[in-house]
Amino acid sequence: MPFSLRIITTFVLGFIMTTTGVHAADVRPTITVGTQEVGLSVGYLLPHRLTQDHTTKQEGVVFMPSWMITITDPIGNSWYRGQVSLGAEMVYVQFQEPFITHGVGFAPKIKYTFAALDRIRPYAEFAGGPFWTDLTGKVPEESGQFNFVLMAGFGVSYFLTDQAALNVGYRFNHISNAGTSYPNIGLNASLPYGGFSFFF
Amino acid sequence: MGQAFSRPLIGSVLAITVGLGTACSHSIELATPTDTIPSANATVATDARVPLLLETIRVTHNGSSIAPPAILERQVLGAIEATRLFSQHYQSGYQQPTANQAHVTVRLSIDNLVEPHAGQAAWRGFLVSASMFTLAPFISLNYDYGAQMSLEMERWDGQTKQYTATSNGSAHYNLFGAGPEIIEQLKGQVTEACLSSLLNQVIQDSAFYLASHVQSHDHPIRTVSVGIRHSSPHAIPISQPIAGGSPR
Repeated sequence: MPFSLRIITTFVLGFIMTTTGVHAADVRPTITVGTQEVGLSVGYLLPHRLTQDHTTKQEGVVFMPSWMITITDPIGNSWYRGQVSLGAEMVYVQFQEPFITHGVGFAPKIKYTFAALDRIRPYAEFAGGPFWTDLTGKVPEESGQFNFVLMAGFGVSYFLTDQAALNVGYRFNHISNAGTSYPNIGLNASLPYGGFSFFF
Repeated sequence: MGQAFSRPLIGSVLAITVGLGTACSHSIELATPTDTIPSANATVATDARVPLLLETIRVTHNGSSIAPPAILERQVLGAIEATRLFSQHYQSGYQQPTANQAHVTVRLSIDNLVEPHAGQAAWRGFLVSASMFTLAPFISLNYDYGAQMSLEMERWDGQTKQYTATSNGSAHYNLFGAGPEIIEQLKGQVTEACLSSLLNQVIQDSAFYLASHVQSHDHPIRTVSVGIRHSSPHAIPISQPIAGGSPR
C-alpha cells in the first residue's frame, strides 16, 4: 500500500473511531459567530491542459489542514441562508507525475456555508496564497519555484455529530507565478477531495 | 553585529505580539449601562408582601416568535426574587399559589432585535483574508443587540399595570477576538440592563403590590428593604444606538 494511502486510511479510521454515533434527529449543529473549525482534507490533482501550450500532466496527492472561524450569523431567510467563515489552510502537494516533486503553500480562505438544512450543509469556497514547488523549474509552463496557488470550488459537509462533519468537494486548482518570471502559462487541475472537520 | 541582529529580531517579536494582541481584542458597549440607572429603593412590611406568579414569557427574535430559553426564565425570576418585593415566587407549569391566596401575576414580553452586520463582516473578512491577515488588528467587526421588554403585572383584584423598557448595546471585536461568549455577554448585559430598568419601575410602585394589613399591637411590624440588584458589567456608554433599534 502506498505511503499516502496509508496516511489517508489512518486519518479516516481515526476520525470514525473517535466520533460518537448519535441518532440522526439529534444532530443540529449550532454554529455562531466565533465558532472555530479545524479540519483536514485529502485530495488528488488531475491535470487540465487548457491550451496547446499546456503539455504537463501534473498529478499528485494533496493534503490540506485548515483552520476557520465563523464571522457572521446566518444571512437570509431563504434557500441561500448561510454563514461566512474566514481562515487559512496549508497546502502540501506531493506531485507523482511527471516527476516526484513537492509543493507547499499557505492560503487564506473564505467560505460561504448554506445553513438551510440541519446536518447537510453545502458550501462554496475560495482560497489563494503563496506556493513554493520544485516542480515548476522542471516543466515548460512555469519557470520559478515561487508561485501562487488559487483554488475555488464547492462541497458539502455532512455532520455526524453537532461538532464533527465529513466533507467532500471539488476545487479548481491553478498554480502560476503572477508574472514574476517567464514562462508563466500556469498549471491547472481539478482537485476532488474528502476530509473531516471539528467545530468548537 | 550581535546588536544589529537583535534589534530587528526584538522589533519583529514586539510587532507580532502587539499585532496578535490587538487582533484578539474585543469590547462591549451598552447604550444605557446598568450602573447608571438610578436605583429605586423602598422599605415594605414583610407581612404585607404577597406571592408572585410568573405566568408567561413571550420572546420574539427580529420579529419572529421563539421559545424562551430556560436560562432566560431563570434570569427573570432571579432578578424579581432579588428585589425581595414578593414573599414567594412561582413559575407557571410548576407549583402554583393556592386559588384563594392573593398574588401578583406577571406576563413578560421581550422583543429582541439582532443586527449582526453580516454583509459588512463578509466584506471586511474578505479584506482581512486578502491581506494575508495583516489587516486583522486594524479591521473591527461589529454585532448589535437590542431588547425591548414589556411587563404586565396583574394584582389579585384584577388591576393591572404595564411597564416598558428598552436597552441596546454593541460588541466590537477583531477577527481573532471573535467568540460565542462575547455575543452571549452582550446579550446578557443588554437583558440585565432592560430587566433592571423594568424592576426599578416596579419598585417605585411597591405599595401597589402590597396587601393591606391591620397589624395587631402584640406583633411589631417587621420590614424589608426592596430594590434592584446591580451587576457590574464594566460597560462603556456609546453615542449611537443600533440601527433600526428604536422601540416599535
